[in-house]
Amino acid sequence: MAAWVKGGATDADAAVEAAATLLASAHNAVVAGLCAELSAVRAAYHLADALGASVDPVAGPSLYAELGPLSRTGAMTTTPAEAIGRADAVLIVGNAPWDRPIVGDIAGSQATRGRAAGSERVILSLGGPRNGATRHVAYPVEAGGLAVSIAHLRAFLKGNLAGEAAYADLAKRLSSAQYGVVLYDPAEIGELGVEMLTGLIKDLNEATRFFGLSLADPFQGRALLQLAAWTTGQAPRVGFGRHLPEHDPWRFDSARQIAAGEADAALWLASLPAPRPDWLGTLPSVAIVGVGSPDASGDVADVVFAVGVPGESAGGSLWDERRAAIAYVPASGQTAELSAAGILTAIQERLTQKKAAAC
Amino acid sequence: MLIRIHGGRVVDPTAGRDAVGEVWIEDGRVVGASDRAPDRTIDATGCVVMAGGVEVHSHIAGGNVVMSRLLLPDLYVSEAAPEGHPFAHAGGSAAWIGANYARMGYTLAVEPAMPPANALATQLELADIPLLDRGALTVLGNDDHLLQLLRAREGKAAVRDLVALSVATSRGLGVKCINAGGASAFKDGMLKLSLDDEIPVYGLSTRKIMGALLDAVEEIGVPHPLHVHCNNLGIPGADESFVATLEAAEGRRIHFAHAQFYGYGVADPENPLTGGFRSAAERITEAMEAHPNATYDVGQVAFGQTVTISLDILRQFAGRKGANPKKWIVNAGDAEGGGVVPFLYKPRGPVSSLQWAIGLELMLLAKEPERTILTTDHPNGGPFTDYPHIIHLLMDKEKRDREIAGLHKVIGERSGLCAIEREYSFSEIAQLTRSGPAKLLGLADRGHLREGARADVAIYRDDKNRTAMFARAKLVLKDGETIVEDGEVVAWRSGRTLELAVESDKAMVARSETYLQDRFGTGLKSFSVPDEAFPKPDVFAEVACRS
Repeated sequence: MAAWVKGGATDADAAVEAAATLLASAHNAVVAGLCAELSAVRAAYHLADALGASVDPVAGPSLYAELGPLSRTGAMTTTPAEAIGRADAVLIVGNAPWDRPIVGDIAGSQATRGRAAGSERVILSLGGPRNGATRHVAYPVEAGGLAVSIAHLRAFLKGNLAGEAAYADLAKRLSSAQYGVVLYDPAEIGELGVEMLTGLIKDLNEATRFFGLSLADPFQGRALLQLAAWTTGQAPRVGFGRHLPEHDPWRFDSARQIAAGEADAALWLASLPAPRPDWLGTLPSVAIVGVGSPDASGDVADVVFAVGVPGESAGGSLWDERRAAIAYVPASGQTAELSAAGILTAIQERLTQKKAAAC
Repeated sequence: MLIRIHGGRVVDPTAGRDAVGEVWIEDGRVVGASDRAPDRTIDATGCVVMAGGVEVHSHIAGGNVVMSRLLLPDLYVSEAAPEGHPFAHAGGSAAWIGANYARMGYTLAVEPAMPPANALATQLELADIPLLDRGALTVLGNDDHLLQLLRAREGKAAVRDLVALSVATSRGLGVKCINAGGASAFKDGMLKLSLDDEIPVYGLSTRKIMGALLDAVEEIGVPHPLHVHCNNLGIPGADESFVATLEAAEGRRIHFAHAQFYGYGVADPENPLTGGFRSAAERITEAMEAHPNATYDVGQVAFGQTVTISLDILRQFAGRKGANPKKWIVNAGDAEGGGVVPFLYKPRGPVSSLQWAIGLELMLLAKEPERTILTTDHPNGGPFTDYPHIIHLLMDKEKRDREIAGLHKVIGERSGLCAIEREYSFSEIAQLTRSGPAKLLGLADRGHLREGARADVAIYRDDKNRTAMFARAKLVLKDGETIVEDGEVVAWRSGRTLELAVESDKAMVARSETYLQDRFGTGLKSFSVPDEAFPKPDVFAEVACRS
């Protein structure tokens, strides 16, 4: 079954009609999730504009941990392939990176390109687990947490703090790198940590080459960030209520809007796995989820569509974490009956028809 | 549909036309005058009729353009859009870019810097630019695979095959090199690179890399010559790099990007690094006249806030100290990466004033406007929306003098602009913005109004206020369909992205597959730009190689 209205199975056309009716009657709808292939995300932005709705991706917390510092100070970054191929020193900050394949890729290789080629790669950690499986030099986090620890490390690097402290030793190691990389998860270290880390990296580049490599969120945030920017000129959390894209990460936080009673309808888009928000179903809702996902059932929202999962039952442009780029992934199996972009476009077309009929 | 445009002053320098006349259009093409009654008649009385404008160098898509929007979210203003394309009034968006070019009478724009590693995202973004036809140049010259081939002296055929494969995979329209070897050198600690400096690890030089790419482009038959961003952009003495690179081309076709940024002669030879710069426009003009194999686009400066975007990370890193506001991005990417540095061109500042003057001086000294393409290197010199103002300055000496009077006196002291009496004619403007760039891209059916031309036509009210005239075309036809009336978009349509029809060598495909798998853990398919990735069919249109 691919579509449900009020818990009952139905055909796609009837569900599109129900979804359009639900959304057309809303005063302030939110389009949330956007954990999907780019064609669906694109269609979601167009639908949100037609509705005068706001947009909030599930990747928001991770994205905005970086976007704030980015717009305040900038960044100095590299890619996974360059880190693996060139780095002679890698600092892993926090716990989160240790669960990602990139750590194994880095630990299991050495620099093959650039001036550090052939040299032994040093792996350093700040506040990470004492992981015996990966040989590294560990530096503990300070009581104030990761952001404060990074600040102290930066102070040692700049000479504002001195002494025989562990961070003084770490600062020396970083300074002696020929191509250094800091691996971190922005969601873990937060805005303050990212901003301080960016400052640290920029300071290091006064004497050597050092770059940040932040882990991508698992919800397609990096891909939709690009599409949001070229579509609206802004970062993802925008509202279209005033017929132009207004960017406001606080105002258009979907959970906040719904908790505050500001939103009166929602569309949840997650053709790829994403944690279903608590609020889904607490207000008139449409859900577009992947075929076979636990959320592909009639009781999740007023109107539910089960659509092709990109890379499995649909093709789609997705974020490739290893390449740090958008790549097209074809369907690996039989193509699903419905596509997320197709449903979103159909809803928008039905809305347009309703609007024309009302005139 | 048969369309007759009559009563207007038809300006087509490729046909020697500059007089009141007619243009006939049928099925999206310019045709000869017909005996049949037209289905539509357009009265262009009091107007100037030109081919649609062609843009060869404007940063309108790609990862660095995205990053610039995130670094400076308030650079462009969004306005409410009551009708039409939903995002056309969203400042800086793809739709905004298409709409603003179209309003000025432009019908084709090329993004000059598409890294193969980011080709799909760039092409998806380009496809979202409405109204215009588009294209992108594939950037090579810093990638390890290419540099390995050159280091191993594998020969011209191997380089040609890798270049062809890169263009085909990324679906580019041509090839560009950006400070060839500079990004690689930067990653290995260098902060300055000249034409013959050794690039660490590879033992190559910019001259060697660029020379190999020049040969490859010729062997493949790419219609657009190698598009070159030289070493040492924007520093005193950059003119040396420009002229040395011109000579290094050794007669092969070459296009120079944003020449204005190289028009900086050392002002004080005793203190070359601290003595500032003076205009080298005359020197560059003389060098260009001696090298008919070369063309350049200008990269004119427009005063105000902007953001500089370049894959020349060596230069952008050096430019970070001048960031205004004080924030910047450098990404050491899989080949070049990119740098995004905000910059404020101050109208009363000596540096900005002199840069502004040098760009104009270059255009006003040029004897062949077709080899001198109008660009602002958007957004590096300023926004492309400043073109009408720049055209006004070129066509009106009085206007120029009025503006100079309000700028820094350095213009009179260190450039020859004030003494230039020349005023551009409409024909010369058409060469600068239509026929020149179309020829440069090798697009025989654009940039003119002769029979067989694509029916991309811009009609402007003849107004002494050239800024007003060229800012809002009275009428713009794209493929014979009206898209702009009285400066406003009236019909939203999608253009096509032009890609070079180039074949890939099977052996190089296999070799690249192995290389990419080793480096990225994934093969060529991951770098491809398949039709299925696009929300609409028929996004691309092929352009043939030179025979």
